[in-house]
Amino acid sequence: MKVLAARGLHDIENESWNAYGQFTYISSWKPRFPALYTNANGSINSLIPDPERSFTGTATLYLGVRLWRGGEAYLAPEVLSEHPLSELKGLGGAIQNFELQKGGGETPELYHSRAFVRQTFGFGGHRVVKESGQLQLGTVYDSRRLVFIAGNFSILDFFDKNAFDIDPRQGLFSLPFLTYAAYDFASDARGYSYGGVAELYWDDWAVRLGRITPPKNPNQLPVGFRLGRYYGDQMELEHKHRIDGQDGTVRVLAFRNRENTGRFVDAVAAFEADPRKNATTCPGFNYGSGNANAPDLCWVRKPNVKMGIGLFGEQYIARGIGVFSRAMISDGQTEVDAYTSTDRSASFGALAKGFLWSRARDVTGVGVNLGWISAAHAEYLRLGGVDGFIGDGSIKPAMESSLDVFYSVNLRRSLWLSGDYQRVINPAFNADRGPVNIFSMRIHGEF
Amino acid sequence: MASFERHRDGASAYLAFPVGLLISLSVWPWLADAQPPPQGFAVERFYPSAPGGGWFVMDDVNMNGKLGGAIALTTGYSRKPLEVASPDGTQRFTLLSNEAFADVGLAVTYDRYRVYLNLPIPLLVTGNSGTLGPYQLSAPSVNIATNPDTISDPRVGFDMRLLGKPESSLRLGMGAQLIIPSGDRADYVTDRRYRGMFRFLAAGDAGRLSYAGQLGMHIRPVDQSAVPGSPNGNEFLFGMSAARRFPVRSGWAVAVGPEFYGETAVRSFFSGQTGFEGLLTGRLEGTGDGPHTRIKMGIGHGLVQQFGAPEWRILFGVELFVRR
Repeated sequence: MKVLAARGLHDIENESWNAYGQFTYISSWKPRFPALYTNANGSINSLIPDPERSFTGTATLYLGVRLWRGGEAYLAPEVLSEHPLSELKGLGGAIQNFELQKGGGETPELYHSRAFVRQTFGFGGHRVVKESGQLQLGTVYDSRRLVFIAGNFSILDFFDKNAFDIDPRQGLFSLPFLTYAAYDFASDARGYSYGGVAELYWDDWAVRLGRITPPKNPNQLPVGFRLGRYYGDQMELEHKHRIDGQDGTVRVLAFRNRENTGRFVDAVAAFEADPRKNATTCPGFNYGSGNANAPDLCWVRKPNVKMGIGLFGEQYIARGIGVFSRAMISDGQTEVDAYTSTDRSASFGALAKGFLWSRARDVTGVGVNLGWISAAHAEYLRLGGVDGFIGDGSIKPAMESSLDVFYSVNLRRSLWLSGDYQRVINPAFNADRGPVNIFSMRIHGEF
Repeated sequence: MASFERHRDGASAYLAFPVGLLISLSVWPWLADAQPPPQGFAVERFYPSAPGGGWFVMDDVNMNGKLGGAIALTTGYSRKPLEVASPDGTQRFTLLSNEAFADVGLAVTYDRYRVYLNLPIPLLVTGNSGTLGPYQLSAPSVNIATNPDTISDPRVGFDMRLLGKPESSLRLGMGAQLIIPSGDRADYVTDRRYRGMFRFLAAGDAGRLSYAGQLGMHIRPVDQSAVPGSPNGNEFLFGMSAARRFPVRSGWAVAVGPEFYGETAVRSFFSGQTGFEGLLTGRLEGTGDGPHTRIKMGIGHGLVQQFGAPEWRILFGVELFVRR
């Protein structure tokens, strides 16, 4: 777009349309790690202790068009090819590559990741300049404005945006740094949803509300459109501030999902009352565990509510250097429906651009994520149950923690090569397994 | 504000785009073809014209001027898009009874050239499973809930005006499209094979009359001639349209007229493997130079209801385009 603008063919500051693209390839390797047991008693959700490779490749086209005054429409077709570690099983929140999707395969698949309309009503205040970019037309908004969004999107496009607005494809590799690991936002197996979002910006303050579609069955692609019966609701309050001349943001996010899920205590109770109601005899959707002596959530799925609340903060401390932290508590009573198996999470870290060492487009960062599961969740796993991601057949409950450190070298203006190291302790919240070391590289380009 | 915001510079696009394209194409499966082909194919025979092309199917071949473009949304519903008959004609049943789609298109024009992208999104494909002679045919059950993000067989195209000035009485052009396989064959939204189209285009304006036509070839590797109602390999494409224009008020005009189009398998020219449709179309569009909106509506009937031509269909389209 800048090329067109430079030649006088495009008004990049007041765009009527724009088009951007990106491609990202991430390759990961995991050496052998220690484990007292793997897939015990016929369970299926352990991270395999043997060496494994994983990759994702994505290419995305971002199209935007101005429809009318205040009206914008966006479409983002995307291609994904992937091969996860252990079929994306065996890690709680510490999934090593945030690009991984449930149900993806090595055969590239084309889909529309986003197709939504945004309408903005200005109420004055000062001018807020939005630069042209992915899913953003170059324009000027009022600092006081009401925004409505409807369509197909990732809720993370609007809620709990990544720290410092950094593109996740240029930041930390690991999934728990995309958002709160315990934020089980309603979405299909790829992480996208249909629904509506309303945002009210009032200078330094913003409040957001959203209702979105959950999957019909946990962690699957088909979605339910009966938004009066099944839904994911979220509300976020945001405040931007300056401390010693450095920008910062604080957010509080709460979610409440009503979805067709199973409660851990119900699954255990059903199994204890009738052992024939185990993982191998499910009449409906389940994850295929072969453990005939374990409870299974499929027996008790019904409309259940899951709630959580989290706090996020980010603060620049120097030019191009910032620190962030987020923590969330969910009730931990129901199974993972869309995101990760974590019930409570906390993460913190720092990101820095290379101003200090005269490589302004390089990015580096380090992050630590901590995750816990509830007592009910742990008991269900101890009895051999599985959820969408974890279940080793047994468990010695512990905090799952992960360290993620990376460096991105800017090869050309819009091309980065990154190296990453992660260490996961107590994978799947199980002290009997791990630690796991994971080495990754990433090539990312934008056009 | 110091920030980590993304830096983009168009200059790097010269490197980033080919690298991205290379990576994307290198992982795209021709691999998919290693699997035995399931039943099903791309049943939709309505290929919307390039965004900004004026008509629903034909093309006004009116590309000109400086850098311009168009964005289009076309939606449609067709009733009984696939009825199949046994080889002896004694049995007939509706394999696909309902089909609806949305198609988002983006085109960029410069001088006499146009490149464009069409992204078809299936909204609904339903029908009836059954047995026809020795064949067990399974109908799909596609809707926006089961397939929330499917893009089926996107098309990348290039058109060029060869002869005739813009707005003249005769304009000739040619175009090519590459259809990239995407989606599930069992859903009747894709052949799961690369396809191509080459078309010769003609169009013109004479007073208040506009017309257009096309002749072309659809390179289609899928050949399931043994299965009733299925593709028979490569196809000829043909079509023509005419409309009368009515100025309705300053800066706007309405054009009303029919479009006829169809296709026939090369190996059985104008035999049972021919589909032929007629559309009555109307469009309201801005006139003169500058950015405009075009709203299109159409209702059609399968004049030869075979080979994917539906019993009837309705269409709606809206385009934002720039005329220079």
